[in-house]
Amino acid sequence: MDLILQLLFTGIGIGAVYALVALGFVLIFRATNVVNFAQGEFSMVAAYLMVVCVELGLPYWLSFVIALAGMALLGVIFNLGVYYPLRHRTYLPVIIATIGASILLSNSVLAIYGPQPQVLQGWFDTPGIQLGPVYLDSQYLLIIGVTILLVLFNFWFFEKTLLGKKLQATSQDKEMASLLGISVSTMIMITFIYSAVLGGLAGILVAPVLFVSIQMGSTIALKAFAATIIGGFGDVAGAIVGGLALGVIETFGAAYISVPYKDGFAFLVLIAFLVFRPQGIFGERVAEKA
Amino acid sequence: MKLTRREFSAGMAAGLAAPALMRSAWAQGATIKIGMCVPVTGPAAEQGLWAQNGAKLALAAVNKAGGVLGKQVELVIEDDQTTNPGIVLAFSKLAAQSDIVAFLGSIRSTQVQAMAPDVIKVGKPVMIGGTNPDLTHSGNPWLFRFRPNDNYSGRVIADFGVTTLGKKKWAIVHSTDAFGTAGGKALTEALTKLGAPPVLDQGYANQSQDFTPVVLAVKQSGADVLGTYFTFENDLGIFARQLRQLGVNIPWVGSPSVVAVSSTKLAGPALFGTYGVADFAEDSSDTAKAFGKAYRDAYKTAPDNQSAWPYDAITILSAAINKAGSTDPNKIRDAILATQKFAGAEGEYNFDKNGDGLHGYNVVKNDKGKIVYDKHIDFND
Repeated sequence: MDLILQLLFTGIGIGAVYALVALGFVLIFRATNVVNFAQGEFSMVAAYLMVVCVELGLPYWLSFVIALAGMALLGVIFNLGVYYPLRHRTYLPVIIATIGASILLSNSVLAIYGPQPQVLQGWFDTPGIQLGPVYLDSQYLLIIGVTILLVLFNFWFFEKTLLGKKLQATSQDKEMASLLGISVSTMIMITFIYSAVLGGLAGILVAPVLFVSIQMGSTIALKAFAATIIGGFGDVAGAIVGGLALGVIETFGAAYISVPYKDGFAFLVLIAFLVFRPQGIFGERVAEKA
Repeated sequence: MKLTRREFSAGMAAGLAAPALMRSAWAQGATIKIGMCVPVTGPAAEQGLWAQNGAKLALAAVNKAGGVLGKQVELVIEDDQTTNPGIVLAFSKLAAQSDIVAFLGSIRSTQVQAMAPDVIKVGKPVMIGGTNPDLTHSGNPWLFRFRPNDNYSGRVIADFGVTTLGKKKWAIVHSTDAFGTAGGKALTEALTKLGAPPVLDQGYANQSQDFTPVVLAVKQSGADVLGTYFTFENDLGIFARQLRQLGVNIPWVGSPSVVAVSSTKLAGPALFGTYGVADFAEDSSDTAKAFGKAYRDAYKTAPDNQSAWPYDAITILSAAINKAGSTDPNKIRDAILATQKFAGAEGEYNFDKNGDGLHGYNVVKNDKGKIVYDKHIDFND
């Protein structure tokens, strides 16, 4: 039982990381109909910004604010540089452009900061707490807490605020939205900013656990992408549930079946979903848009 | 003077051939080229940089001392991207340059394995740092190893843990790549011979983000000592931290990555008190100390095995070419194999017929973040 609780905690912790990055995927997909393959790099860039600020001697909270502000700026640049020029093309050139941007981002960081992985201290001074037989890593606790808050925030933001509704309208039907006086390009800009900040938040939160390295983003993004498909592409709740499910499944699979095939379980689940329920847990079966 | 037709033809031929001959002589003449496949990008880019540093340090010393065969030596670097396809591509790019006389391959066994068939085809000496024993034991005459192979690391880890620490219940954790698998196997064999077969043999896939299941397996096995073969330092860092968090504090004797500079930095206190076998230990010999000082002076950071083996490889290769008096691959090969009692940064090189230069390891301890030399264990077989 102790073992199960410990595995469950870690599974949910690592799953929450996937969920945060998956959320970024989903928001951009809903707004623009493209998958942003640079989402993982957003996490990596934010973690490096954080390391730079902390090394400059700034307080942790200020570094955090600066890093997220930097991500918001990156979201603007990304929208203007990668998405906007190609917005009238099909989804394919945009997707390729995001892959290009991801390569550019990781190699830029490599060129500026060098290949050495960096250490980022966690938010808390205590590494964790022992709760009975289970050890709760403080950083994982923080990650889980932030994920819960974000789920609540997203619900409130998209369902209860005018801006959220405008964003939803844009993602559902751009033409209709613009007929109703919603500035579609502004909404898409906001989506990119929000996604970049979310991705950055995931990167900063996970950095103390996984260390800060150039490839940290791509490793997480791959799993997060699987999580979005499992949850149902384009569904916010699906991204969260998919991410958590993936984290728990791979942790238990590793513990009870085989550690070396840990990643295998994640992708086996992905394949099973693609074959038997391609619309994911929460997705609705939709025919090609008319 | 009457010019015969034969003389005229010979003269014409010489005249036509001369520019081409001069060009090739000029191309050959400038420098002696050594190719180096090294990670410039990818997960091991950091270590790749150190490998280049080590090689360049040796190169500078060789060139300062007059070079090789009277010419300056030049290093041609190609990025192996830290992947197997990457190193195959990098090696083929380098091999296409016919004036490269020898190569430095990878410190990663899996990459050396990937490039090995091409190495046989090219038929020129390749210096390697990968420690999977099979690499030099499967009939490839062109691979020369500048680090002790894992038969030795396994034996040294087992010997130190069982004899010095007096521990007999072993848990082994290893990567499932070529290096980790061979290392785990060698350690299991060595332990079995010492009458202490491991109670747990646990593999993991590289770039895992979470090691909780592995740590719990170690905990449940009831082992009183831990032996590890980790390939990547960030994996090791995550594992070490989770190991301590989940309350596992048994003695730990690991492969060289446990005492590598980047692991020490990443894992911090989680690695305090661990032992590692290290092919490079700065305090193990005068040559190692001299290398350490030169490296610190040049790069303002501590050296480790990642930079020590390319340093030795360039030094010994250059000496071998000088001794061979030619860049003929077979003559270089003979000269490398004839290298005996050569004091390198990694230890004393005595090449055997397989191309293995070193036959033992240092045991070092992480003493509150500082790597301290403990003892050297060498084997004669």
